[in-house]
Amino acid sequence: MTDIPKHYQPTFFQRLFEPPTIGKMAVGTKVVVYTLLLIWSAFVLFPIYWLFITSFKTAADVNGGPYYLPFIDFMPSLHAWHELFIIDYEDTLRAYFNSIVISLAATGLAVLIGSMAAYALARVKYQPNLVTILLFILTMIGVLVAIGSYGVDWWLVTAVAVAVFFFLMKAISSRYQILLHNGDILFWMISQRILAPIVVVVPIYMMFQSVRLLDTHIAIILTYTVVNLPIVIWLMYDFFSSIPKDLEESAQLDGATMIMTFREVVLPLSRAGLAATTLLVMILCWNEYLLALFLSTAKAQTMPILVAAMNAGERGILWWSMSVVIIVMIIPVVFLAMVLQRYISKGVLLGAVKG
Amino acid sequence: MSTEVKNAPALDAKRLVIRKMNKHYGTFHAVKDLDIEVEPGEFLVLLGPSGCGKSTALRMIAGLEEITSGEVIMGDRDVTHILPKYRDIAMVFQSYALYPHKTVAENIGFPLKVAGIPPEQREKSVHDAAAQVQMETLLERYPRELSGGQRQRVALARAIIRRPSAFLMDEPLSNLDAKLRGFMRAELKHMQHELGVTTIYVTHDQIEAMTLAHRVAIMRDGVLQQLGTPAEVYTNPANLFVAGFMGSPPMNFVEGGVNNDVLTFGDNKINLSAAPEGENVTLGFRPEDATVVKAGEGRFDAKVYTAEMTGDLTLVTMRLGKSMMTVKMPKDFMVDFDELVGIEFPSDLAYLFTTKDGARLSATVA
Repeated sequence: MTDIPKHYQPTFFQRLFEPPTIGKMAVGTKVVVYTLLLIWSAFVLFPIYWLFITSFKTAADVNGGPYYLPFIDFMPSLHAWHELFIIDYEDTLRAYFNSIVISLAATGLAVLIGSMAAYALARVKYQPNLVTILLFILTMIGVLVAIGSYGVDWWLVTAVAVAVFFFLMKAISSRYQILLHNGDILFWMISQRILAPIVVVVPIYMMFQSVRLLDTHIAIILTYTVVNLPIVIWLMYDFFSSIPKDLEESAQLDGATMIMTFREVVLPLSRAGLAATTLLVMILCWNEYLLALFLSTAKAQTMPILVAAMNAGERGILWWSMSVVIIVMIIPVVFLAMVLQRYISKGVLLGAVKG
Repeated sequence: MSTEVKNAPALDAKRLVIRKMNKHYGTFHAVKDLDIEVEPGEFLVLLGPSGCGKSTALRMIAGLEEITSGEVIMGDRDVTHILPKYRDIAMVFQSYALYPHKTVAENIGFPLKVAGIPPEQREKSVHDAAAQVQMETLLERYPRELSGGQRQRVALARAIIRRPSAFLMDEPLSNLDAKLRGFMRAELKHMQHELGVTTIYVTHDQIEAMTLAHRVAIMRDGVLQQLGTPAEVYTNPANLFVAGFMGSPPMNFVEGGVNNDVLTFGDNKINLSAAPEGENVTLGFRPEDATVVKAGEGRFDAKVYTAEMTGDLTLVTMRLGKSMMTVKMPKDFMVDFDELVGIEFPSDLAYLFTTKDGARLSATVA
């Protein structure tokens, strides 16, 4: 047993920064915290303010600036708004419409498919054999080589490949077993997102070119769905895993089918997770630039492409028009966040288990 | 003992037979050749320490866990390989498993809802089931607004609402505080008696087992050790494990070698009859059967380690070598720390086991 120095009386400085009771903030701490928060708020909000006033500036106001206060430093003008929504309204509205359709469809698909995958991973135990997977990949390569390099008929190659694959599987897989688990599958899925999109953008471009789907909604929707699946699976896996298994078991003992259990128990309890995931994926789709740049040329252009286009004209950078487009781009996201945020609250599971 | 309550099975109560049931998890053998027949309307308690396979056994009966080998028969149906929902079983989970987004009424009515019974008809049943557990005034609350005991009642009401062929209960009282647990235990026993539904109840608490069960099945490492009425397993334990598991405080043991029918431990000797020559033997006696006497007047002497007044009696704990033993004495009994005292017990209330495998010996204390 060792004697350690004992303190019974706080000093003035300690009183300033140590709260009188645990769970409250001391006066000194409060001052520091709120000062930092105010500075941060200004740092975050100022660009939005700047965006807003820039959208009402003329070229002269922007180039002669910086001007900070409308009506005092400069006279606001609606010329940029007028140009984008009255004169060039077709381009603007098409991009807006494209962005909405693509984001909604891709998010819907990604959340639907991803949450089903996540639920399966969270509840069903998988044990795929790595050897079988490698055999499958090898057979696939064989098929591609046969069709691509030797011009064999695809149906013949497929038939042979299926036979060869099943033969090899019987012969080899049962003898050599490297079993994978749910965690491995999950990691593999998340690892898809580790790769920088620029790496795969050319193959994706060529793929859609060969099926003649470039500059269509379908191409972008499908690409966004696939790109966002790992995020959905990752987030929803965590969420489904946190729902006590007892609840589903109890429902099944009470006579519910799998579908009923999902609809009556799992779905209502994962509303918060679904809302958060939807919001995140929606924002990612809404803001995506690189893939859209490659996959769209005119008809399927999205808002980020339109913003970037303001930068490329022969008239130089159109800061005022760019600001207008960015503002209308921000509005739906803010609106969506406000609608969904009441679902993204904790404490839904409280009282499910334990006392 | 009060547990000898007459069975009053409900008319539709089912016999539940478990035959040679096994569970393997990879190389781990969790349940080994479990054979139990539960009579219609019987309250059977599966008792054992954590990890003994009792919960796994229950989950296999419920159909939540796959059975590696063996059979489960409900009444005249073999339910071994069918889904839980076809087994007509209701289960109460340790966590209660109430649906947090549903009200008490919706929770209780859930089994009827999934069965497709229209809301008007459900309402009366929900009310009746809730009334049976005194929850009829809280039907609109959510689980998070209820206390532990109330949640427990809701879980029970949900189990009884559709009159299942059997109840399975997995440590339903272990999340309650001590006082409430005693109260709910009585409620549970009364309710099971009223309903007369075949019940299997899993617990690690031997007092719950003693007080609730018509019969107790004691398990250890996946193996059934003894199956009998609470009185039987208490007064006539099949082996050392059962003897040590039942009773609070548990049975006292001393261990020694046998030579010429004399058990020697330390400097102490106790005469036995018909004891196995040359083997190590464990002698057991219950705290309530022994008395603390003056040093030298008992069967052997030991030093007082501590004495605890519990209100209705005094628990005197003594140390002999490495082993501790506890004796229940009257509440006004006084001893001092480190005092040397004697321990006396009647020879017909002493139990003998082989130390090696814990098997009960027919030998007696002379």
